[in-house]
Amino acid sequence: MPDRETILAAQVAFTACNHWTEIVPGLDSIAVQFDPAEMSPDEAAMIVRDQLGGAALASEPSPIMATIPVCYDKELAPDRDYAASKLGIEADALPLWHAARLQTVAMLGFMPGFAYLESTEPCPAIGRLANPRQLVKAGSIGIIGQQSCIYSFDSPGGWPIIGRTPLRLFDPSNTQPALLSAGQTVRFESISREEFESWPRAAQK
Amino acid sequence: MSIRVLKAGLQTTLQGAPFSGHRHIGLPAAGAADSLSLALANYLVGKPSGEIAIEITLTEAIFQVDQPCSIAVVGAAEYVRINGQDQPHHLTLHLTAGDKLDIGPSRPGCRTYLAISGEIHSDRLLGGRSTYLAAGLGGFHGRALKDQDIVALSDTSPTMKVDRTTPPTLRPHYSDDHVLRVTAGPETDEPHNGILEELCLRHYGVGARANRMGMALEGLPLRTSEASNMPSAAVFPGTIQLPPSGEPYLLGPDAQTTGGYPRIAQVIRADRHLIGQLGSGSRIQFVHTTAERATGIYREKISLLSSWLGQINLW
Repeated sequence: MPDRETILAAQVAFTACNHWTEIVPGLDSIAVQFDPAEMSPDEAAMIVRDQLGGAALASEPSPIMATIPVCYDKELAPDRDYAASKLGIEADALPLWHAARLQTVAMLGFMPGFAYLESTEPCPAIGRLANPRQLVKAGSIGIIGQQSCIYSFDSPGGWPIIGRTPLRLFDPSNTQPALLSAGQTVRFESISREEFESWPRAAQK
Repeated sequence: MSIRVLKAGLQTTLQGAPFSGHRHIGLPAAGAADSLSLALANYLVGKPSGEIAIEITLTEAIFQVDQPCSIAVVGAAEYVRINGQDQPHHLTLHLTAGDKLDIGPSRPGCRTYLAISGEIHSDRLLGGRSTYLAAGLGGFHGRALKDQDIVALSDTSPTMKVDRTTPPTLRPHYSDDHVLRVTAGPETDEPHNGILEELCLRHYGVGARANRMGMALEGLPLRTSEASNMPSAAVFPGTIQLPPSGEPYLLGPDAQTTGGYPRIAQVIRADRHLIGQLGSGSRIQFVHTTAERATGIYREKISLLSSWLGQINLW
């Protein structure tokens, strides 16, 4: 099973050429899509092997660390108390606990800009909700243990929600619409409800 | 010039070529669910195959134009009427200001494409203009059309006025019974040995909750294994997933970019436009083929179509 660095390096190598119509990293895999009118499956496999084996597999400097402001107000964090009890801490201590853990963006998927995050520090399992919600608001921070996520759009979802960021995870008017990218380190920073409400460019969807 | 929506129906959206090259940031393909019918419709009004057209789903839709223009209708609609008069599919039709265009319900099949001369105004996003409904992006303000919406068009007095009709041999057959060819998926062999053979031995019906994102397939459940959840990995339109219920799930054009269920099969590119004609109650038989064969089939299909449509690409 390839590790995160290998997947990211493969993504860099695949992106450097124009053979692929899509390059999609997964949590422990990476997929490419090609146009079968231009290339046969055998040719595609050969090119993949070449690109994986070449000197191109030098890792790229990691993108700059992102600081994500999060409001842990109970109204925005319906599962805050539940998650805190699973973690064995007081609900009030959750912001500090969360801020102390650096996370890495493992991949984007599910919805445009939706980020899957991983923490290297051990953490009790919280697990998914028994009954997924029909509506999770954009910017919600979900956590199931060492893995957490940030919802980019209002959508259904099953991860316990411990806070919400006012940042837009996907802004189509930007040249790079996704706020985060795979491999990036993320740090959370607690903000008050007032700061959340008055945050410039608040999440609109 | 504009086209007014008198009756939008169940789900009518602006769709053309899919978004491409952005799945790594979570942007799905979207675009016309039936790329072949779209291409045929666009050609009848002198447009390239991936231009934006109006995609109509299952129910009747009615429009009115405020200027002369050329239109064409290709798809599953039972009838096409201009001011109440029946018109043929697969033919360039000329409308005058105030004409009312009535496109009938899909029978059989699921989707119909209305192509119009002139450029349909549609929100631009990362090089594409199709509608991605779940995130409210692209197309007509990111949403399906509603009654009384007015869709703007650039000048429609066609610089290249065409009168065309699709050759009978190239007209798709619209049906509720489909044969879809599939190749093995990444999780077909381990730990699901024999699963593809099982899939191809059974008959499936499309369940009630079929939409552009995907559809549950009803039939005898397939056996699942311990590994029915796996680390999230890339999925594509046409991927068949195996959730713990054992009922396969077929992904459509708006499918999310990654998923955590085993990917037991992949509908080949040459057959993927048929997914756009699958609705609740459609029946499917899967047939196993190899990636090499699938490439050959796709190239033959493209070559046949390009004799009429010129440069063409299906998705």
